[in-house]
Amino acid sequence: MRNVRKEFGQDAERYLALDGIDLEVSQGELLCLLGPSGCGKSTLLNILAGFEQASGGSVDFEGAPVRGAGKDRVMFFQDAGAALLPWLSAEENVRFALRVRNVPKAEWPATIDKYLEMVGLKEHRQKFPAQLSGGMRQRLQIARALAAEPKVLLMDEPFGALDALTRRRMHGFLLDIWQRTGKTIVFVTHDIAEAVTLADRICVMSVGPGSRITEVIPVALPRPRDAADPRAAAIFKKIEELLV
Amino acid sequence: MRTGALFAGSIVVAFAVWQFLSTVVFNPFLIPPPLVVFKTMVPMVENGEIFRHVAISLARVGVGFVTGCAAAIVLGVLLGRIGLVNDLLDPIIELLRYLSPTAMIPIAVIWFGIGETSKYFLIFWGTFFIVLINTTAGVMRAPVIRQRAAECLGASRLQIFLLVVIPSAAPYIVTGMRIAMASSFMSIIPAEILAADSGIGFLLQQSSVLLQTNRIFVALLTICVLGFIFDRLFRIAVDRMLSRYMSYIALT
Repeated sequence: MRNVRKEFGQDAERYLALDGIDLEVSQGELLCLLGPSGCGKSTLLNILAGFEQASGGSVDFEGAPVRGAGKDRVMFFQDAGAALLPWLSAEENVRFALRVRNVPKAEWPATIDKYLEMVGLKEHRQKFPAQLSGGMRQRLQIARALAAEPKVLLMDEPFGALDALTRRRMHGFLLDIWQRTGKTIVFVTHDIAEAVTLADRICVMSVGPGSRITEVIPVALPRPRDAADPRAAAIFKKIEELLV
Repeated sequence: MRTGALFAGSIVVAFAVWQFLSTVVFNPFLIPPPLVVFKTMVPMVENGEIFRHVAISLARVGVGFVTGCAAAIVLGVLLGRIGLVNDLLDPIIELLRYLSPTAMIPIAVIWFGIGETSKYFLIFWGTFFIVLINTTAGVMRAPVIRQRAAECLGASRLQIFLLVVIPSAAPYIVTGMRIAMASSFMSIIPAEILAADSGIGFLLQQSSVLLQTNRIFVALLTICVLGFIFDRLFRIAVDRMLSRYMSYIALT
């Protein structure tokens, strides 16, 4: 995306949320957008997904401009309870993704098995989202997103509502899925430690109005990463100084 | 089991209090005791009189309720989905919905006579606005996140509408229908009192003119039982067919 700008409202109530955003995400990369609440990182993600249009600048995906949502870029929401279809069981939620993608019916059972297995929900396939724990719901959302076979996963603070332990497990889990599937991931978070744990590159955003990406920090550390690792700690400290 | 016993106990106590009040405290002619009401009811049941009235009232409620729900759901979905339709029609609906079916009786009689059509119309009228407002609210409140999630999985607009928005609105629609059903059972009575020659309301009216308080009480009791039975039937039907759409509300 080049020189992307986003305004909300009109005239006197106009609010410039994003200004001059330049960003290139490579295939297979795990990129974190990091910034305080209200810095427009979710807006940026919505523009990438195609839910919202940029007021200025251009957003291209694989050489073609982004127009509306596409199944090559699947968004992954923090509120899994709202994003999943609560009246469908775990396997039916995955089936929904196959159905709307017009996958031949004969392939459904094997595909559903594959992705439920991948996220470790095979024993819970008959359960409804309300019967699953928060972490399990997020894993179900991952299974459903993967069943759409997207090229890019856009994740909007996906683990923000989970307790610290579950969140750590989900990090390991997400990295495992990422390494196995080679998807491109754009991950929005306000948690510095989370970004340092996951990302190939961290884009630090400034507070609005007119948020921009102030710094791009590569994290070239082997995974799994340890927060106590002095190199990780140094990156953490550097970002903290940028933000606080 | 326990709730069943309590329910039965509550009814028995109510009948006992009623018997006591009507025989000891009040004039038994003004408030006929339950035993008298029961004795009045037996021949009415045996010769089928009560069932004829019940059947005709139920048919009126049925036709008005079903057509009212169908029209209200269709229009409610349009209102909830298309902003322009909502902007155009909402002010009219907000004004018209204060006209209760009872308020519409005089004009309904002039328009449709005292035949079946006027009763269908009045029940339709009462049902329509309740279900309409609930349907619109339900469609509007289908979570944006849920629709967007479906959209980026590749769902078409029609699929989002049919597979996400409508099921999300189902609990609202069903709740509206349940309220509308209770309201239908209430509004059929004044309609039949003022403009009919059959039905429970007519039985009430006729008994009142003849000062037959015992028959009035039979009719009143019938209304209570009918409303209760149909609400339970409605709930059972919803539990059987729509529970997966309804239950999550309690869970999340």
